[in-house]
Amino acid sequence: MTKQITLTIDEKQVTVPQGTLVVDAAKKIGIDIPVFCYHPKMEPVGMCRMCLVEVGRPVIDRTTGQAVLEADGTPKVQFGPKLETACTLPVSEGMVVVGMSDKVKAARKDVVEFLLTSHPLDCPVCDKGGECPLQNLTMAHGVGESRFNYDEKMHLAKHVPLGELIFLDRERCIQCGRCVRFQAEVVDDPVIGFYQRGRAIQIATFSEPGFDSYFSGNTTDICPVGALTTADFRFGARPWEMRATASICAQCPVGCNITFNIRREAKSDGEIVIKRTMPRQNEQVNETWICDKGRFAYHFTEGKERLTAPLIRRGDDLTPVSWDEAIEFVAQALRDAGSDLLTLASGRLSNEDLFNLRSLSDAFNGKTALYTHMAGGDLTAQVGVGQGTNFADLGAGSVILVVASDLEEEAPIWWLRVKQAAERGATLIVANPRPTKTDRYASQKIRYAYGNEAATVLAMINALSAKRPELPGKVQATAEIKNAAETIKNAENVIALFGSEGLGLEGSAALAQACANLLLVTNHTGRANNGLIGVWPRANEQGAWDMGLRPAADLKAALAAAKMVYVAAADPLGDDPALAATLGEVPFMVVQELYLTETAKLADVVLPALPFTEREGSFTSGERRVQRFYPAVLPRPQARPDYAITGEIARKAGVDAETDSAARVMGRIAASLPDYAGIHYRRLAQVQEQWPIVGRGDLYYGGTGYENKQGLGVQLAPAAQQGQAPALTWPQVAEIAVPEGSLLAVPVTVLYDQGITVSTSPLLQTRIPQPYLTVCPAEAQRLNAEAGDLVQVSLGEQAVKVTLRVDENIPAGVALAPRSLGLPIFAPAAIQVRVAQKATV
Amino acid sequence: MGAIKEIARGMWTTLSMMFEKPVTIQYPEVKRPVHARFKGRHELHRYENGLEKCIGCALCAAACPADAIFVESAENTDEVRYSPGERYASTYEINFLRCIFCGYCEDACPTEAIVLGDNYELSFTSRREAIYPKEMLLTPVPEGGKPTPQTVEPGFFTRSIPVMQNPTD
Amino acid sequence: MTEIKQYVLLRHRDVPGLDQLDVYRQEGGFAAFQQAVTAMQPGQVTDVVKASGLRGRGGAGFPTGMKWSFIDNNNWPHYVVANADESEPGTFKDREIMEKNPFQFLEGLALCCYAVQANAAYIYLRGEFWQQAHFLDAKIAEMEAAGLLGEHLFGTEYSLRIYTHLGAGAYICGEETALLESLEGKLGQPRLRPPFPPSFGLYGKPTIVNNVETLANLPLILEKGAAWYRTYGTDKSPGVKIFSLSGKVNKPGNYELPLGTTFRQLIFQHGGGLPEGRQIKAIMPAGASSSLIVATEQALDTPMDYESVPSVGAQLGSASVIVIDDSVNVAWLINKTMHFFKHESCGKCTPCRDGTYWMMHLAERIAGGEASWADVELLREVAGQVKGKCFCALGEFSIEAVLSSIERFPADFEQITHKEA
Repeated sequence: MTKQITLTIDEKQVTVPQGTLVVDAAKKIGIDIPVFCYHPKMEPVGMCRMCLVEVGRPVIDRTTGQAVLEADGTPKVQFGPKLETACTLPVSEGMVVVGMSDKVKAARKDVVEFLLTSHPLDCPVCDKGGECPLQNLTMAHGVGESRFNYDEKMHLAKHVPLGELIFLDRERCIQCGRCVRFQAEVVDDPVIGFYQRGRAIQIATFSEPGFDSYFSGNTTDICPVGALTTADFRFGARPWEMRATASICAQCPVGCNITFNIRREAKSDGEIVIKRTMPRQNEQVNETWICDKGRFAYHFTEGKERLTAPLIRRGDDLTPVSWDEAIEFVAQALRDAGSDLLTLASGRLSNEDLFNLRSLSDAFNGKTALYTHMAGGDLTAQVGVGQGTNFADLGAGSVILVVASDLEEEAPIWWLRVKQAAERGATLIVANPRPTKTDRYASQKIRYAYGNEAATVLAMINALSAKRPELPGKVQATAEIKNAAETIKNAENVIALFGSEGLGLEGSAALAQACANLLLVTNHTGRANNGLIGVWPRANEQGAWDMGLRPAADLKAALAAAKMVYVAAADPLGDDPALAATLGEVPFMVVQELYLTETAKLADVVLPALPFTEREGSFTSGERRVQRFYPAVLPRPQARPDYAITGEIARKAGVDAETDSAARVMGRIAASLPDYAGIHYRRLAQVQEQWPIVGRGDLYYGGTGYENKQGLGVQLAPAAQQGQAPALTWPQVAEIAVPEGSLLAVPVTVLYDQGITVSTSPLLQTRIPQPYLTVCPAEAQRLNAEAGDLVQVSLGEQAVKVTLRVDENIPAGVALAPRSLGLPIFAPAAIQVRVAQKATV
Repeated sequence: MGAIKEIARGMWTTLSMMFEKPVTIQYPEVKRPVHARFKGRHELHRYENGLEKCIGCALCAAACPADAIFVESAENTDEVRYSPGERYASTYEINFLRCIFCGYCEDACPTEAIVLGDNYELSFTSRREAIYPKEMLLTPVPEGGKPTPQTVEPGFFTRSIPVMQNPTD
Repeated sequence: MTEIKQYVLLRHRDVPGLDQLDVYRQEGGFAAFQQAVTAMQPGQVTDVVKASGLRGRGGAGFPTGMKWSFIDNNNWPHYVVANADESEPGTFKDREIMEKNPFQFLEGLALCCYAVQANAAYIYLRGEFWQQAHFLDAKIAEMEAAGLLGEHLFGTEYSLRIYTHLGAGAYICGEETALLESLEGKLGQPRLRPPFPPSFGLYGKPTIVNNVETLANLPLILEKGAAWYRTYGTDKSPGVKIFSLSGKVNKPGNYELPLGTTFRQLIFQHGGGLPEGRQIKAIMPAGASSSLIVATEQALDTPMDYESVPSVGAQLGSASVIVIDDSVNVAWLINKTMHFFKHESCGKCTPCRDGTYWMMHLAERIAGGEASWADVELLREVAGQVKGKCFCALGEFSIEAVLSSIERFPADFEQITHKEA
């Protein structure tokens, strides 16, 4: 229990733990000491001098060690000769802080006056106007008239693009350093920094492309002035013209809480549109940060090509029809197909959508298939992290194991949370075939060859337990593996994250099982801050597993066997052209989608669905937190939420289903799935006060992040926490054989790819790389190729041309193939590569 | 007797009115000139060179107590320039059925773009008609100026807010 | 007051060729270092220095032995950094020491390292001193060749290496924490204190930062004893000091004199007085960072030590005495100092960054005759606004010359400003 300290701030007493800064102690009792450079999530620097306050300390007699008392018995307090910065001062017993005296008010006026001397007269054209702490503090403390000669103002470059996403206005910058410190301290991407000195000090970017960081958007939130703004929102609207709605990011399994700001505008033909995405504070999930993909990629919901009416194939063409007709048509097909129904859905859908799809399929004894390349969601339901898990609680004594995942690419905010846990003392063990950014914080690194993921984890178990499954000869229990195993065994808390680096369904299933076994054997399941997390490719993959969907071991065969295929939020043909023949032969295919995808073009019925921005629903994050999202904008006419479409079809086909509201579907989920018992929308909307305090009128701390008033979500308890520990089953592990003359292509994830949720966002298109394949220098030499050459990749009967990249960190014999970037590689596969065209210099 | 005197006095008052100059003016053939600072229909002013003064800051919309003004902003480029500086109003609408002609928008404007002018002859036959878009509010291009959008020298018109003088009248 | 019969620091003026290792050793050089390493405990060295009352010669005047005793002995390794940044206008003493008597400085540095048990020392030189750095590198190499630096010195367990490092032209890097940041390869901006360098210094390890002149005192203190050192100077400011005299004097240069020597003695006796027909008007005892002392008879007779100078409204600082005569309008002078501080401000804190910029513009207009008395008032107010709020001493000292000039020489400003507001 940390010592509690009592002090007086502006005549109010407050008791806080030792080590609290005066500025935070004041905040706790509602006193806002103005700050610019201070941010509660970064080390204080005391640079801006705005938080200067008078500080008095009780006088202690040096000889006796006793407090000196005044005549009336109160402790004598000695005030310092100079004002001190509240943001760098830890509290001490009996301290007296004065913020309301004339001296302090004069100091605040002086500092604001200094800042305004060269600050440009930009308020009317500046995006920060209306939510700007400098404006507010000028109104509170500034002089009415400027005494500075206008012609002597320092002029610096305005409207400087730092990369395509962020604009910098150097004149507006008040040199608080929050952006530089955020990039260096919080996300370890020091791609911006101070340049020059004195009044000429300015922000510059050191990366190519500029401001090359997945977290760059956060600096626009914490910048206290309009120096850093996003290109996306530029001149979008004034803060008071927008309304805020809560949502959950639909891109990755972290489930960051976000706020959409909306406005009705003429530019969009009088529609209400989303103007920007901001983080919503949830200290248990994403704190006050979101990554750039989550910030900018919501545009995928706004494409003009969105489906606007149900379509039925008549002859060769898809013709628009009414909903009634389409639903009747599909219901009839269902009755005909019966148990030969295959429902293919992905983790892009909400829990309610997936539940209705599964219920419909079950009613007909059909098959369901989860469209994914990653297995293991059933295991995370059993040995996932316990209720009450919070990465922020991990520190010394905890271990985080990251296996087969390039965490910053797959789930940037988890990378950030893991990194911060490591900085607090948690032991980070990274097992990956190649170095990734997570290595920087790892105290133990294990390298294995692609294909030996599960075997490596099993080798750790072998080092600890008597049960020794068969392992391929190549995987020896090296010193690193033994060390890692011991560390895991002795740790108080262990969280294991497994990703899909170089893995397909089989590999990830084996890996998940191996990780689950490791946790079971070392007793790290069934309680908070212990368990297994899957770094799923999509936002609600965990929810999909929970709703009962499972990936098909052989999707092609499953498609071929079905008489009716109901596809929702999946585009198998777009991802793998080899499925064209199989899909073409499906007797009846219904596609429920946002856009006319490649798969939809072959469908018999196309049903227009709504994206998450236009409807309600819930996602279950990778940490098994069920979180609710709310509609931000009005739904496109004629499109309907997925659960409603499925529900209507079900009803037409004589199956009882909910169609009216997502909340009601959730009611059914709670009633039929034990894990979800007790989950209802009101509970998901509950909030509690969080620290630091953001989004209130002071705008000081979180910048313009939003206070969370619409729900923190509920974390589910895994089976292990409910007393149902699963039995150990050992996965089969086999070596991957690569024929002579071939390379082993392994799929890896990159944050910006050509997936539908990124490529339809114009702003991010500049960040999406051209399709590429990466090999090590030795392989490049063997191919007589250089970086930049166009190479032809032959995979079975398919051939795709992509650019070659060279990286010395790739093992020999291996080629990295980013997913959703032109190469249809979903599991490790043998490929032949040859140069198609040399790069023109 | 006194009653007749009073009646006569009253009638004299009425008769004398015949010789007084009538205050009625023959509107619409004759129009009374308006006073200085009369608050009539708004005008979006331009600079001498034809560039619009309005920079799309929406302070007028914020100040308006009747929520009568709607502003959307967009970026100027030197090839397509509407106003000096980075920003201009791509949409600017005033709903004259909401407007109470208080003049707060004129007070709020940092560039003296929106000014309440002299025109009071406003009538509409539908609610839609009462919403004046930017084209109907902009003043005509002054002599020697060019219409907007203009293509200008790069780096010349960088300052959004001009040097302000105190009003002289 | 003991007169200097033999130089303590500028010994090369007595002994030609003292920058040669063999000459230096002939004069007894490195005997103290060898004695310390082989026969003394590190704590004993510190005690001697404490007893001598030696105070930091870089400007702050902090007791050197006390600073060494603050070093955190629970955190290793320790480092010593010699501050050879010497960028204060009017200061050129360290340069002469390094150029002409380098071994005494290096031996002093080595003694300090031994006292705090550091095995690596860095000499941080201002970027413009690249020639001096090359020169010192050669001297260090000579010491290594002679077994005076390196592993297992004099057959003991103690090892020491000394490295030079060049800055890049920033006065702020003379501030010890900004120096450490620059040495670590980061932006040269001061750090938050506490913690202080003896607890958290270079790379977060306990570090002693001492000025070149301070270190150059150490060999003779160790050789001849603290009591000998105390025969020079005053009780509270013992020892000798190199006064860098410049400005309107006939013989500018470095003068090594006991602390407590008066301004009059320095300027008129040693410095040859002012040019023909000129009257002394003001003295800046601490370079550009000083207040201006009005050159009254009383002021001239004030002893130059850390206690007495404040009585005439200034600080001794690094004892870079700049003499101002009646041909100088102080408005011109503060324009110069304000340009200097505006150029050198690191930009970290608001009052210094924006305040020095503002004051520079005001001072420029005033000096150029384009300002009114209201502008002078404004300059005084702005300087008052900067005072007490800055992150480090640069900002705080930047206003000294300004405030003292306006207060003590108002006539100069009245002369140069016009009546109109």
